[in-house]
Amino acid sequence: MARQLAHLSDEALVLLAARSEEPALAELYDRYGRTAYGLALRILRDPALAEDAVQEAFLAVWRTASRFVPEKAKASTWILTLAHRRAVDIVRREQRRRADTLENAPEPAVEGVDEDAFLRLQRERVQSMLRVLPDAQREALELAYYGGLSQSELAERLGQPLGTIKSRMFSGLSRMRELMEEPGTEMSWTSTT
Amino acid sequence: MDVHDLTAAYALDALSPQETEAYEEHLGQCERCREELVGLSEAATALAFGAVAPAPPPQLRESILEAARAERTNVVPLPRRRWVERGAMLAAAAVACVAVGLGVSLSQSGPHYVTATLSVGSGGKAMLSTSGLGAAPRGKTYEAWIIPAGKQPQPAGLFRGGPDASLALRGSVPRNAVVAVTLEPAGGSSAPTTTPIFSTHA
Repeated sequence: MARQLAHLSDEALVLLAARSEEPALAELYDRYGRTAYGLALRILRDPALAEDAVQEAFLAVWRTASRFVPEKAKASTWILTLAHRRAVDIVRREQRRRADTLENAPEPAVEGVDEDAFLRLQRERVQSMLRVLPDAQREALELAYYGGLSQSELAERLGQPLGTIKSRMFSGLSRMRELMEEPGTEMSWTSTT
Repeated sequence: MDVHDLTAAYALDALSPQETEAYEEHLGQCERCREELVGLSEAATALAFGAVAPAPPPQLRESILEAARAERTNVVPLPRRRWVERGAMLAAAAVACVAVGLGVSLSQSGPHYVTATLSVGSGGKAMLSTSGLGAAPRGKTYEAWIIPAGKQPQPAGLFRGGPDASLALRGSVPRNAVVAVTLEPAGGSSAPTTTPIFSTHA
């Protein structure tokens, strides 16, 4: 049913979701739900919490689709930003609540995961871009994005001044951006193409 | 604290709630940061694809859709004015169904919203009217497509656009078909070469 919308752009689907067209939300979930879940699981290390984060993110898409402004961001960026934000909110809340940190929970294993071939290719491309970065920049990006650490927590953890952390994050993301724009590394972010 | 410095951390969700608030306030006034944020956010989001992505539990999809259904209160009222006029034109053909599409059009002045109304009469004769679609740029034309379920798009006519445009579609629109509009080189194409500006279910 939802696959009838498969030819639509992400942005058109968000506009339909803004009109409460449920199949459009279903199609967006089919395109990005798995990536959102993988991301939430990486951050939260707990399947039930990851499900909560993804559910909250897609309901935020549903509720706020009418405020999405296509000229400000790509729809995929917007959706995955919402998912990331929910997961980070939850990890910070849980870490305040618990004595042990979620960080000590095992990282989701790569082996044995029945991973979609296209998503695996995307993952390998991103990881190869990360490998190009200087270690300090990669570490800052990974601890912030996958670890949910704030810049102040990062500074404390790494024993570096806040200014150093800020510039590592900035340089790392800027370099990622350049790598994404290089010919041949251009990526299509939807899993349906 | 220089707020300009916070763009990368904001893109990574690495700010405290207080810092986030300060940065968002700043963002409203700083064009440079808004532009920078677009690129850095895309780079940060690329990292989402760097995580291993096992399939989520199958019930999560239904759980989300069920919750969405339960709060289906965000219906945006659509302009019906056009529909009434065009509907009247098709009155003799006994309008069987009407669908409204909403899309985004890119023009020199930047993207803006477009509404398109599709009125399908008995026998599948259909009229497409658009509002808010800018005139097609020089050397380009809008082209309508009828996409029967599971089939390739069929060319359904060319039009120039303009603030209020309408087009009687060539061919008939079967039930469950999708009608879409793309921007094509002048003279039209035999198959769409660009992403649809909008599309709607008949």
